[in-house]
Amino acid sequence: MKKNYLDNPGSLKIDLMLRGTRIDDPVVKAWACGASGVDIMLPQNTLVNIPCSEMFTEESPYVIKKSGDGYIITDGTGTVPVSLVPKPKYYSLKTSTGVPFSKIGVFHGSYTVITPSPRCDFFNRGIECRYCAGNFDVRGVENQVYSVEEVLETVAAVLKEGASGIIYLSTGFSPGPDGGIEFLKPYIKAIKKRHNCLVAVETLPPKEDRWIDETYALGADSVLYNLEIFDKELFEFLCPGREKLIGRKRYMDALEHAAKIFPNGTVASHLIVGLEPPGSTCMGIDFLTGIGVVPILPIYRPSTDRALRIGPLTTEIIIPVYKHLYKKVKINKINFKWVRDLSMVTTPLEVRALVDVNEGAKNSIIENFYKSKIGLKTAWGLSTLRRKLRVKDSRDPSDSSGRE
Amino acid sequence: MSVEIDTRPIWIILALKSLRPLFFLLLAVLFWYFINMPSPAGLTPAGQNAIAVFLLCLVLWVSNAVPLAITSIFAIVLVPLLGILTKKETYALFGNEAVFFILGAFILAGAVMHSGLSNRIALNIIGKFGGSPRRLLLSVFLLAAVLSFFMSEHAVAAMLFPMLLELSKSLKLRPGRSNYGKFLFLALAWGCVIGGVATFLGGARVPLAMGILKETTGATIGFLEYTVAVLPLVVILLAVGFALLMILYPIDVAGVENAGEVVEKRLKGLGKMSFGEYSVGIILLLTIIGWISMGRTLGLAAVALSSVVVLFVLGIVRWKDIEEYVNWGIILMYGGAIILGSALDKSGAAAWIINGVIGRWSGSPWTVFAIVSLLTIFLTEAMSHAAVIAVLLPVVIGISGKMSVDPSIMTYSVATPAGLAFILPMSTPANALAVSSNYITVRDMAKGGLIMVIVSWVLFNLMAAFYWPLIGIGRLR
Repeated sequence: MKKNYLDNPGSLKIDLMLRGTRIDDPVVKAWACGASGVDIMLPQNTLVNIPCSEMFTEESPYVIKKSGDGYIITDGTGTVPVSLVPKPKYYSLKTSTGVPFSKIGVFHGSYTVITPSPRCDFFNRGIECRYCAGNFDVRGVENQVYSVEEVLETVAAVLKEGASGIIYLSTGFSPGPDGGIEFLKPYIKAIKKRHNCLVAVETLPPKEDRWIDETYALGADSVLYNLEIFDKELFEFLCPGREKLIGRKRYMDALEHAAKIFPNGTVASHLIVGLEPPGSTCMGIDFLTGIGVVPILPIYRPSTDRALRIGPLTTEIIIPVYKHLYKKVKINKINFKWVRDLSMVTTPLEVRALVDVNEGAKNSIIENFYKSKIGLKTAWGLSTLRRKLRVKDSRDPSDSSGRE
Repeated sequence: MSVEIDTRPIWIILALKSLRPLFFLLLAVLFWYFINMPSPAGLTPAGQNAIAVFLLCLVLWVSNAVPLAITSIFAIVLVPLLGILTKKETYALFGNEAVFFILGAFILAGAVMHSGLSNRIALNIIGKFGGSPRRLLLSVFLLAAVLSFFMSEHAVAAMLFPMLLELSKSLKLRPGRSNYGKFLFLALAWGCVIGGVATFLGGARVPLAMGILKETTGATIGFLEYTVAVLPLVVILLAVGFALLMILYPIDVAGVENAGEVVEKRLKGLGKMSFGEYSVGIILLLTIIGWISMGRTLGLAAVALSSVVVLFVLGIVRWKDIEEYVNWGIILMYGGAIILGSALDKSGAAAWIINGVIGRWSGSPWTVFAIVSLLTIFLTEAMSHAAVIAVLLPVVIGISGKMSVDPSIMTYSVATPAGLAFILPMSTPANALAVSSNYITVRDMAKGGLIMVIVSWVLFNLMAAFYWPLIGIGRLR
């Protein structure tokens, strides 16, 4: 029996991300042209990036249509009013060096993702993750590193427009003990020095915990070490580089340490739904939430230019995984309000509507406050104050000044 | 960048942080109250202010709420401001001989370390005498002690520490588990602590004590006189310390051949002895002879500073080579402590305290000596050595006057035990470094340290009672 997900924005988001949509409107088509999908706002302010150009979307039951002044999504049985998220204005601007801002900073809702260098040494060694179709591929792009100034100009444009309140810096694998934080250090420091905004950092787990401490001390407000796959054997098979040069255990240890250092709810890790059995993903959720980490569950869609072909799971199978996520996050009292309003993944906050419809429909005053400009400033202020209180200078024990 | 993140709940951190301004506010209110309350009978207003400044500095030194040097600067500001001494008198006290002796000693020690001479001596001694596990331990222990006779114990600990870490790694000692590792790092710490009390040079605290003694009574203790009085204690403590370590941490390694290789490699890296090393060595030797033979007539500071001038005139060192070795914080701290001691004395506050408070409980001089040395030896575990001297010595010198005991003797009762800190890592940088190696824990240090503190106190008092009269230092009854 065909299920209807139109009534619940949480499940609709998941279904749309899995099956994509067809587009029956020239404006929306134009929007999606050249982009990785179309950003649509579903009811209850649920933001989603819907695939629309891939082959599988041709068989999607969903269509985006014009309806009066706005838009609707229909599956043939019903409709739901939606709105097209305007492209950020900064996408049409360039840095002083002539680089389009859209190349440096990619808008994902509450976050703007900046990857200063697409370098990931796993590719150089032929041990890249088998599913990787993301930002990282070093072949032919060795010298493509955006300067600190270029990144700062982009951040300034993002913040001026108010497109996102959080800047998400990411980097691929590089040899060295720091996991990539040394590379991101000048960017984090410069952004924190010039702008009052929150910064999330995605790197590989460093070899020693002191780098995690330093990540926090530098000004990162949130950190992500993406485990991606919880199942041990599948992790070894699908992520040979991560397994060989970092190790699954180091991911877990690093996340556990980070959860002790960073504020509740600001340490997260991706578990890709669809790359392993749902039961295994649930075990990953149990483990991560048990150590105070927020699991973020992106949905795997096979890409045409990658060798790995795993058939996608269905929404019926995936929804219980998301429900499990929400319950575990609640049980472990993890603050999940930091990870919100992301177009590419379904967040625990959005899943709330699947578990409790009444809860999902209403946003608390505090949630609404933190979405506002003043709320973001407050979050930044509190985060800075917390860091000021927590970070201590570690003095050299041989320093005898003052002792005699 | 090396950072540490406080992972305690934020409300605890916040509460603790807010204690700091509250603490200073309370201190300011109490200070204000003290200087404005009616003066007790027999105490002049200047004396009352001097006691208030003394108590304020006492709290700040003990709590370490601000750096020790800053507390001293605060004292330097408050003393003339409150009319305890004139501005001219106050700042003139900063030109005390002890302050300049310490400056000279820092520069000389800096020259020795910068030239590499101290490193070469250490490596040679360990290389020559450290052939067996036991001899290696003894070499480290005695080397730390003997070097601390001639240079600051802190500098000795800092110099030997990386070498010992390397030796431990080469011997594959397991941090926290290996008895030999524990022994090695406790030998470093205890060697420095025991050796540091042998002469004026082991730390700046003895010169400070001498400075306070001279300012308040005009009496002095010579370099040789002090060493002769204290050296037997040092020798016995070294023997007891080594024996205690042998009992507490029986040797659990078969050989130390790997350590020999490390030493040999380092020595090769040093190359031939340079002109600078020879020159610094000769000047240091001449300086020590000068302190012994002309210390009383010329003054220790004059001898030290003359050597410093020679070092620069001959171009053996440059100022930028030396700058990092001069601990200006300690020099400022000492200046302030001497000013405070003098303020208590000249304002009549010290006499008032002795007459009104301490005089009541003081029995025989022997009792006072024993109590003061006990108080010092325990206070120095929690407080800076110099702060202990600054706090206790002016009062103790006052007591000696009242009891008609030679103030020089009472100076020993504070100056020597103030260096004997064995229990806690925070008491002295040598202990802190030893614990930071991870080969010993705070518990390891405290276990043996407590025994050493008790033994030290007993031996010190026995020496004062039976040995000092033999060498002509006044008798205590």
